[in-house]
Amino acid sequence: MPVPGGSRRAAGHHGAGAAVPAGKMVAPGALRVVRCGGSPRHGARAVFSNDSKYLLCASGDFVKMYSLATEETLRLLGGHGGLVTGVQLNPHNCMQLYSSSLDGSIKLWDFMDGIPIKTFTVGHKLLALYALASSEDSVFVVVPKSSERDTFQLVSVKLTKAAGQDLEAKELSVVLDSVDASPKCIAFGRAGEYVASVKEVNLQVYFFKQKQLNRFSVSAVKAKSGNNHFTCVACHPKEDCIATGHADGKIRLWRNFYHRKEYTFSTLHWHHDTVMDLAFSVEGTSLLSGGVESVLVLWRNESDYQKDFLPRLGSAIEYISMSPDGAFCCTLHTDNRITIINSNLRFSKSIQGLIKSMDIKTGLVVDPRTKALVLNGEPGHLQFYSLQSDQQLFSLDIVQRQYIHQAGLKQVDLVKVAFSAQGKWLATVEEREEVTDPELQLKLWFYDEETQSFKLNTRINTPHEDHITGMCFRDMDESEDDSLLLVTAGRDCVFKVWVMVEDTDPEAQQSVSWSCDFVGSYHNYQATNCCFSEDGSLLAVSFEETVTVWDSVTWDLKCTFCHPPGKIRNICFGRLTCSKYLIGATDYGFLCCWNLLNCALEWSAHLNILVLQPDPLSEYIAAVSWLSKESSLFVFKPNEPRPIYIQRNLCKEKIQLAAFVPRDEPEMISAEKYLWLRRSQLFFLTDTQELMTLSTKSLEERLTPASKQLAVEEGLLVTPFSLLFGRHRRQQSQEDLGKLAVHNKHWQDSPAVKELLHTPAHVLPSASFLCPIFINSLLISKENKSAEEVSDEVEMESENTEDDSDEERDAAEMEQEDTNPMELLGETICKLSKSQDKELRKIRKMDYSWISAF
Amino acid sequence: MGEFEVHRVRFFALVPAGVRCLACLPRAARLALARTDGAVEVYNFAANYFQEKVIPGHEARSVEALCWAAGERLFGAGLSGEIIEYDLAGLRMSRCVDGGGGPIWSMAANSSGTQLAIGCEDGSVKLFQVVPGGIQFERNLDRRKGRILCLSWHPSDTHIAAGSIDVLRVLDVCSGQTVKRIMVNYHVQKVKRECIVWSIAFLSNGTVVTSDSFGRVQFWDWERGTLQESHTVSTSAALSLAVSEKEDSIIVGTSSGATYQFQLLPVKMGSLEKRWVRTKPFQHHTHDVRAVAHSSTALISGGLDAQLVIRPLMEKMQKKGYDAVLRKFTFPHRRLVSCARKARLLLFQFSQHLELWRLGSTEETGKDGQVLPLCRMPEHLLQLKSKGPEHIYCSCVSPCGSWVAYSTASRFHLYQVQYEGNSISVKKV
Repeated sequence: MPVPGGSRRAAGHHGAGAAVPAGKMVAPGALRVVRCGGSPRHGARAVFSNDSKYLLCASGDFVKMYSLATEETLRLLGGHGGLVTGVQLNPHNCMQLYSSSLDGSIKLWDFMDGIPIKTFTVGHKLLALYALASSEDSVFVVVPKSSERDTFQLVSVKLTKAAGQDLEAKELSVVLDSVDASPKCIAFGRAGEYVASVKEVNLQVYFFKQKQLNRFSVSAVKAKSGNNHFTCVACHPKEDCIATGHADGKIRLWRNFYHRKEYTFSTLHWHHDTVMDLAFSVEGTSLLSGGVESVLVLWRNESDYQKDFLPRLGSAIEYISMSPDGAFCCTLHTDNRITIINSNLRFSKSIQGLIKSMDIKTGLVVDPRTKALVLNGEPGHLQFYSLQSDQQLFSLDIVQRQYIHQAGLKQVDLVKVAFSAQGKWLATVEEREEVTDPELQLKLWFYDEETQSFKLNTRINTPHEDHITGMCFRDMDESEDDSLLLVTAGRDCVFKVWVMVEDTDPEAQQSVSWSCDFVGSYHNYQATNCCFSEDGSLLAVSFEETVTVWDSVTWDLKCTFCHPPGKIRNICFGRLTCSKYLIGATDYGFLCCWNLLNCALEWSAHLNILVLQPDPLSEYIAAVSWLSKESSLFVFKPNEPRPIYIQRNLCKEKIQLAAFVPRDEPEMISAEKYLWLRRSQLFFLTDTQELMTLSTKSLEERLTPASKQLAVEEGLLVTPFSLLFGRHRRQQSQEDLGKLAVHNKHWQDSPAVKELLHTPAHVLPSASFLCPIFINSLLISKENKSAEEVSDEVEMESENTEDDSDEERDAAEMEQEDTNPMELLGETICKLSKSQDKELRKIRKMDYSWISAF
Repeated sequence: MGEFEVHRVRFFALVPAGVRCLACLPRAARLALARTDGAVEVYNFAANYFQEKVIPGHEARSVEALCWAAGERLFGAGLSGEIIEYDLAGLRMSRCVDGGGGPIWSMAANSSGTQLAIGCEDGSVKLFQVVPGGIQFERNLDRRKGRILCLSWHPSDTHIAAGSIDVLRVLDVCSGQTVKRIMVNYHVQKVKRECIVWSIAFLSNGTVVTSDSFGRVQFWDWERGTLQESHTVSTSAALSLAVSEKEDSIIVGTSSGATYQFQLLPVKMGSLEKRWVRTKPFQHHTHDVRAVAHSSTALISGGLDAQLVIRPLMEKMQKKGYDAVLRKFTFPHRRLVSCARKARLLLFQFSQHLELWRLGSTEETGKDGQVLPLCRMPEHLLQLKSKGPEHIYCSCVSPCGSWVAYSTASRFHLYQVQYEGNSISVKKV
């Protein structure tokens, strides 16, 4: 068993895959790049389990299983070597799941236990998977045609029933030619009697029994309504009706399509842009459609006039699926969110990990309070992403304006974010992308303990004349407010220092607000970066090719550094023992380290550094370079020119951002090479918005068996329960450590409590059932104890006050309570009525002989 | 080719009359059309939709309903309360019988063409026997309050469905009694607006189809009095409907100018269960579609915008593209303008009067396509009102411009026009 911190991390990132750098065997203990969030790239519609308790969803190379009750990721079915392109329940056994992947295999899973049952190797790229109840032992897949490029065909694959886990499935028979690669473009009709496929302007319907193929087409491009290409298709579950979605936003309902000539269709039109997906309800009485408007439309009775909407779903709807009992519908969105919607078209739940935003301009910032990653989320929002649970903690609306989905419309977007050291203040910069006159706003948010959220304190319009390029707080660990400073660097050739001032306006609801204190500039160069030294005494601001160092008290220019040619891309100060160094990276591929004491260049290296990230808890600095289509990682200490750790070929994608996230407890790392990972963990974000981290653990350790993943490790999650018990325990240990040690132990050992705390919430029985068990488990231990202690005390008391009046005894008890307020037992006694009290005393007297035996 | 001066005549303010009702002659390719001014036109489908006959309107007689009966006899009825038989050879009204129930809103002939039923303002449905040389009052059916806006015979001629305000009734022809009365608005809660049943059709399987002012097309089982299906096609009223002869297709016209087709389609392949499905919408009209008709190969609609649109059903056609077979009658097919070439005069024919205009003139010449400045504006010389309630059928002006003639259905008039400087005098000949 690893230390708790380590095991937690393993559990926290079980959503991650293990991507081993290509062409490299991993020696035990070597660092591995691990994908841990973001960019799931849903390849197919999600599937509900038959009892609508679980949702199965293709996510990258994995199939994820979510609990609908708790929104938790229950299981991760991994094993495919490529993007999963289809998930389908086995129609003959609802506890089994088929999944297909680009790696050319179909896997059959027992998803409740997370066990792969069989693997069928087809040998072609599989682009979509369909399983039918009517076809006994075969499934349908879309494969590329071998002879021509970019043409695909629908084939049925016979799944052999032979024994063994790995089987070959080579018996293919072509059903339809020239189909679209998208899984949305093929649908199977009522009871599998026909299959409909759409591509461009053509609809093909193939009837299995009659072996008849009918082709229909809509007239090609019409000038006024844009293109009317087919985008998706769905078949009515009970009737012969095919619904098709079109790129111009229309939905056509086709009927009578077994006649080549007398077919007919009607049109439904609400969407203004492409219909992304369609789904019929279980009985086929209503039709759901979704598109880029992020509005789910419910069409009743195929009528243009009876429709309902569920608007503001956040982002474009990519896939829609219905649960088999019709109780839920699920939409997968382009920003990787999953929304569960009730049958009455009410929003029910949202399963969201790292939200994919259009463009991450804020960088990766760590919230000091929650240790969550903070970056752009929905348009105009800041998302707080919890790395431990792979969930979004919350989304803070910064821009506070309605987002309008319209191509070419310039929206206000969030570009810079900075937290103060304790996470008490948050500074955000938003701008509207205008070439000539950018609309800028600097907002300062104060963390309100009561509401547990950020509250807008100050809004500064046009803080700079041009784009803001850098922003930082003076990072002092003392919580004195007067040392708090904010520095912004702008392209208008100045940097500005903002300080808090007392608000003189008597009507203002807040006591402080922010205003500008100092404006600095250097030779009319554009300011590009700014950062404070660790103790906050020095401010470094880079002006194009020059780094300037300023005294943060007097705002005097202390010295300048320059390493021509090339503009400064990143700067940072060294930390702890290396705080006398200033590191800078330039455009021309140099990494320089200057000594602040003698103002000289200490060393420089020729590296094209994209990301320069110091660890806040140690001296180490991570730098990511980009050279000839691969990213490499260098970790170094500023006082040594030789890097401590080099990982070449970190990943093929360009790494845009990185952040050190402090660990809760330092990890035990033996190898000296990886000591830099002891205090913090390094996370990267690639340009495809995939979050990666480095792990020293081997694959086996990380991918713990699924059964273990379900059981939560001891004292692990910060749940309200554990908080309650944790605090309780701490209090008690302060009060009377020795006394209650046995008591605590008993709690922990009690199987009932253990079970209660360690069972995931979604499989727990009802609270009314658990309550007696829980209470009982507490009672037994207490009774034992109360018999011990209370009788001691009461015995003394009874000796003294046996003959006294009732009032006096009450007073004595009050006294006792005062002297020992945390003593639970005293409280319970106080609450007892006198008659009960007497009875209790009698009992205790009886027990006295038993007690004395101890 | 020589040089031409092109006059832009923008002073002919003709307001064409909207289409009020349509009647297709069963099993023959003829269509009768009545306009809001009372004119009746007959089109021949076989002869490339040629406008064969025009019977000019009459001021006192509007036509609310048209029907063919007893072979190729055409009857019309209107708010004047009279049933008119048209003389299709003489292009005039031949006989006129008073209905005796106030203004007539609807009229329908039975399938054999021997009886006519009319729906009147007073709520009565009256039967007339079609006899050689005229029609004969037969009997009154059960009378209830509320004007009868539409009528339809059951194909077996045993029952008549009649639509009124908020209600539809089914009448037994033999007994004359109302055998079913259905409130069309019963299940709509809290609606105080009255619901007008604008059009009704009785299908052979006992289904009554109604279109109403709420924009709904509803299918009723008349024997049980239950609603089978309801389709809302429009937010405004659904004014007209027509059923194909095979009873597998319905066309509905709405007041928004759109027409919709309903088709009876099998729910599943090979199964007998069929359902009415709204299929294609067509937006050919700009105003209310007051009249629709369903021929075996085409959907025909006429609206208040005076257009007659014949939209062929593509699946029934053997050839050609969609545009080649779609027909729209937007302009009047008769000659309404006559020209006095020498005197540079134009005579415009309106339904009740004539206008004589002098064309503008110019002294300049220019290149092709150039707009020339006028030295003399076009001048309104004369307005000649016709006498009597009959509308003008045709008119003419002599080349010298001194004679103007027009005729109505019964009379011919000739006038001499004399020009004396700026003053003009008219003398009836």
